[in-house]
Amino acid sequence: MRIANKERLATAIVLTAVGVIALAVWSTYAKVEDARRQRRDTAEIARALTSLRLVSFEYALNRHERALAQFSAISKRLDGMLAASRFQGPEQQEILARLRSRQAKAAQIFDALAAAFPREASNRADTELSRNFETQLLSRLSILEQDNLGEVFRLADLTTEQSNAAQRRLLVVILSGLALIALIKITVSWLIRRDVLIPVARLQQAAQQVAAGNWGFEFGGGGADEIGQLTHDLGSMTRSLRDSIGQIQRSNQELAVLNHELEAFSYSVSHDLRGPLRSMDGFSLALLEDYGDRLDDEGRDFLRRIRAASQRMGHLIDDLLGLSRVTRAELRIVPVNISAIARELAGSLSQRKNGHELRWLIQENLEVRADKELMRIALQNLLDNAWKFTSKTPDAVIRIGARERDGRQVCFVADNGAGFDMAYADKLFGAFQRLHHADEFPGTGIGLAIVQRIVARHGGTIWAESKVGGGATFFFTLGESKNDERGQDNPAG
Amino acid sequence: MTSADKIILLVEDNPDDAKLTLRAFKQSNIANPVVVARDGIEALDFLFARGGYSERAGKPLPTLIVLDLKLPRLDGLGVLKAIRADARTNLVPVVILTSSKEEQDLISGYSLGANSYVRKPVDFAEFLEAAKQLGIYWLMMNLSAPERKAE
Repeated sequence: MRIANKERLATAIVLTAVGVIALAVWSTYAKVEDARRQRRDTAEIARALTSLRLVSFEYALNRHERALAQFSAISKRLDGMLAASRFQGPEQQEILARLRSRQAKAAQIFDALAAAFPREASNRADTELSRNFETQLLSRLSILEQDNLGEVFRLADLTTEQSNAAQRRLLVVILSGLALIALIKITVSWLIRRDVLIPVARLQQAAQQVAAGNWGFEFGGGGADEIGQLTHDLGSMTRSLRDSIGQIQRSNQELAVLNHELEAFSYSVSHDLRGPLRSMDGFSLALLEDYGDRLDDEGRDFLRRIRAASQRMGHLIDDLLGLSRVTRAELRIVPVNISAIARELAGSLSQRKNGHELRWLIQENLEVRADKELMRIALQNLLDNAWKFTSKTPDAVIRIGARERDGRQVCFVADNGAGFDMAYADKLFGAFQRLHHADEFPGTGIGLAIVQRIVARHGGTIWAESKVGGGATFFFTLGESKNDERGQDNPAG
Repeated sequence: MTSADKIILLVEDNPDDAKLTLRAFKQSNIANPVVVARDGIEALDFLFARGGYSERAGKPLPTLIVLDLKLPRLDGLGVLKAIRADARTNLVPVVILTSSKEEQDLISGYSLGANSYVRKPVDFAEFLEAAKQLGIYWLMMNLSAPERKAE
């Protein structure tokens, strides 16, 4: 059964139970009221009987005619009460019947007494006979009334008992009602536990299993209710995710194979393409050395050009392999002190044979989280670039530092060298893209592509600002990239 | 023992590279005789006096082996493994001379017992410098291990 239906059913059961309890309470309470009313009636009857007795005594003592009238009035009232009986129990009915019959007899006796009543004062001293008869009647009346009183007390006891019983019943009904509600509550709680809480806990465990990467986890068959449906749906979701992951893994394996082939290709390139270049360079040099005197200047120039071209191609191959290595290298993220690496690189650049006058301004204690080896390669390329493009600048300055921007650390390498036209900024980071002629500033055009790939592998962004003759600044962030953020200022001026 | 007895075994399949290496040795004043093996099997045949080199039985082992990695039949790492596995040759210095600078090749080379790893540069001038250093270190400065006679 669906949980929603169970919930509706439970509500119906509770409402019915409450209704039944209310009805029971109401009807029991009506019985209590009834018993109370019967007691009131009994008391009334008792009072009337007591009055009758009093009147009878009074008459017996004083023989006032007024007593006769009183007797008949009370008697009539009592008759009315006995007739309009509202007692239900059979015993009460019997008592009532006896009361009625005695009352009828009492009325007869009283009528007889009234008939015998001396109408005239002269007849006051009456015969003994009539006097005796009267006394006899009075005593019979007295006995009847005494009996009736006894019966009424019995009736009073019965109605009290009945009232007490009704009250006890009311208590029992209320207690049973409360017990019933408690039982329903316990049942509902148990059902909620069995049908909702336990399956939800199981689902939670399953979800945790899957979250922990146990894709093979089986959710098992769910029941017919909503949670069962949810379990089933989650199971199919997990299965389809598992399938997708399987596909991704297969694709990854294919990619790994391709990557492996690519590596083999790179290896081949490294080995096989460089071989002929070595021959060209080596034998050109041998030619120059051994037979140079038999060539004129132009011939020797040709040979030098062959050597230069071979060596350039050697560098190109090396740089390409470097780019592919940067892409393949496994990242080991650690705190890296950029300042220290920059100082070291600056030192070796300043010692180059064809170096130029240059000031290095390196911010102290610049730290980032990155792969140290790749960071060194990136900085090497950036500083090489800055060094190269300031070679014709008097008072050359290269600055390395970082600044906060939108709560993120943005590192920069700024120079006041040749700069470039921002119109070509989008070509800057492409492999083999060069914005200067090789005879002006030599290079293969791969350095910045390597830097960009390293920054991208760290999830960062790199961008540059420059103007021709006004130096260039390269900014980069590490960590997740931000869309197209561009700085406005150029720290190198 | 004169330098004429101190043979260098150059294992190199590319004749251009072999010629250039010989030229570099010569220009570096390395006068030792150089034997060129063109693949890994030939190198081992020479070392262990087998096959075409059976007449070498009893002759001294080379003082230095210069080994390329990419070779036909048996590659350089295979040759190195065989050299280091044999008691007769396991003390002969081996210098790997290759165009590869793959980290993996470097690691495998050294872990298999190579004594040195030199990358062939495209620029012959650089190669000359490297060859000179090799000659000075392995042929003049370094005292070789006592000779073990081949059985």
